[in-house]
Amino acid sequence: MPSLLTSAQGMSTQDRLLAHGLGGAKDLPISTELAIAGAVAALTISFTVLIVTWRTPRYDAATSGRPAPAWLQALVDSTAFTVLLRAVGLAIFCYLGWVAIFGQDLLINPFFGILYVLLWVGLVPASLVLGPIWRALSPLRTISTGFAKLIGSDPRRGVLTYPDRLGYWPAALGLLAFVWLELVSGQSAELSSTRLWCAAYVAVMLVGGAVFGSDFFARGDPFEVYSSLVAKLSIWGRRDGVLLVRSPLANLDSLRTRPGLVAVVAVLFGSTAFDSFKDSSVWVRFTQQHLGTSYLLNNLALVGFCVGVGLIFAVGCVATGVDRERIPRGRSALPDLFAHSVVPIVVGYIVAHYFSYLVEFGQQTLILMSDPMSNGNDLLGTGDLTINYWLSYHPSFLASAKVAAVILGHVVGVVAAHDRALRLLPRHHQVTGQLSLLAAMVAFTVGGLYLLFSS
Amino acid sequence: MPHIMTVAVFACVVALGAGCGSESEPSNAGAGDSVNSGTTIDVTYQDGKVSPSGERVQVALDSQVTFNIDADAPGELHVHSAAGDEIEFDAGKSEHTLTVEQPGIVEVELHGPDLVVVQLEVE
Repeated sequence: MPSLLTSAQGMSTQDRLLAHGLGGAKDLPISTELAIAGAVAALTISFTVLIVTWRTPRYDAATSGRPAPAWLQALVDSTAFTVLLRAVGLAIFCYLGWVAIFGQDLLINPFFGILYVLLWVGLVPASLVLGPIWRALSPLRTISTGFAKLIGSDPRRGVLTYPDRLGYWPAALGLLAFVWLELVSGQSAELSSTRLWCAAYVAVMLVGGAVFGSDFFARGDPFEVYSSLVAKLSIWGRRDGVLLVRSPLANLDSLRTRPGLVAVVAVLFGSTAFDSFKDSSVWVRFTQQHLGTSYLLNNLALVGFCVGVGLIFAVGCVATGVDRERIPRGRSALPDLFAHSVVPIVVGYIVAHYFSYLVEFGQQTLILMSDPMSNGNDLLGTGDLTINYWLSYHPSFLASAKVAAVILGHVVGVVAAHDRALRLLPRHHQVTGQLSLLAAMVAFTVGGLYLLFSS
Repeated sequence: MPHIMTVAVFACVVALGAGCGSESEPSNAGAGDSVNSGTTIDVTYQDGKVSPSGERVQVALDSQVTFNIDADAPGELHVHSAAGDEIEFDAGKSEHTLTVEQPGIVEVELHGPDLVVVQLEVE
């Protein structure tokens, strides 16, 4: 990023902290013992779940969960609460717009940290704890709704009905575009390029919202779809307007299957795996030997990882017999019907991959946010805080936490797939039909552990 | 559900146990030549090509890392650690020393053509 470095000339060392995309030192690899223990645990769990656990499906989105306390339902449904969240979302949006347009093209501009760390990575823990938070905050939903109300139309309806067969595909493409900006473009820390990406995103969302109504945000906004997907692993659900508390497994089962769900999951997992892989010594040495084509190689590798994940999963799903009476579309419908079960594996791996990054660069960003125009201000009073690097100084703890996240994700995923298989597959295929999917899941988990170990 | 929890708890205990096991073992990788005497890395930069090129080098925490640079043009090495050091060098031979005070993978990157020289594995 040459322009950034020239603009950073003359600044103190601290100003250039993030001079390599975002992030300084990266996590140490996990130890061999930990990687092997994780892989063995993944295998053991998979077969234990298959053989030992229940034989009739347990989770039914139509009945699962119990209503949340009445006061909580009243609170979250109240106009004041909705307006408050929308105001918070708009405030974040205005702040981002301010630093993006008027801030300096320096890495100490908090724009990068807010976008890549607090929003992109932070939405995972936020959605795990609070549920579909992006949907509640989304400033673009707010603006779109505001427009619709101004001209007196129903914000839920647009000019056209959102076509069902599009499903989550626009979100999958949007996610791919974002990870491309972050990981491959080489421009991820350049203000003008990142700003252009965000402007395009805002434009597509507002036009989509005007044409298709609010359905577009639920299925086409990459960040809302990501957040709502992760929120299925929280304890918060809704059925017919009633706020429910239910186990994350039951909640996950309630994920609506739509075309493109596999693509969304494949992009999330594939791109995170690519992020590990691209910093490995092997890949760095390889691309630097082929310097003229390293950009092309990185593009191909990103797409290769995403497509590879999708294919492994799809093949894992369809290698079973099905009952046409239960699933009229036959085997080709299975990948979408099982896609919810890889969500926990993806989330476990993402948590492992980004844990220290979120904690340490999240703190960094909070400090930088106090000086939005990079002129030495301390507007929020956080400017003097120092970053706590406890996690980096305790690599064994960090490594164990990462492996625990991966394994926990694997357990939840395997259980979700098992339960769905009992519901969907004909009786005589219920065990053998799960084997290939189980193999795909073990491949994802072990592959993820391998990347944590080797890069 | 009890089965699943048992399995999950078991797996995590196994995983964490293994993690703790590895913690108590001394890390012997690269320790022989780096604990006291520090690590020396010979860097050549000729015709826009750098060597080493993306190699992983293990160094001990707080030890000295010395770069022996032989270059045909001036340039800059950026050390992507939390401290964010920077080494400017002139054409010809020069020697530069730094210390990394935080565990992690730290890339040392040439800027001009952006090329990773080494990845320091600091533990």
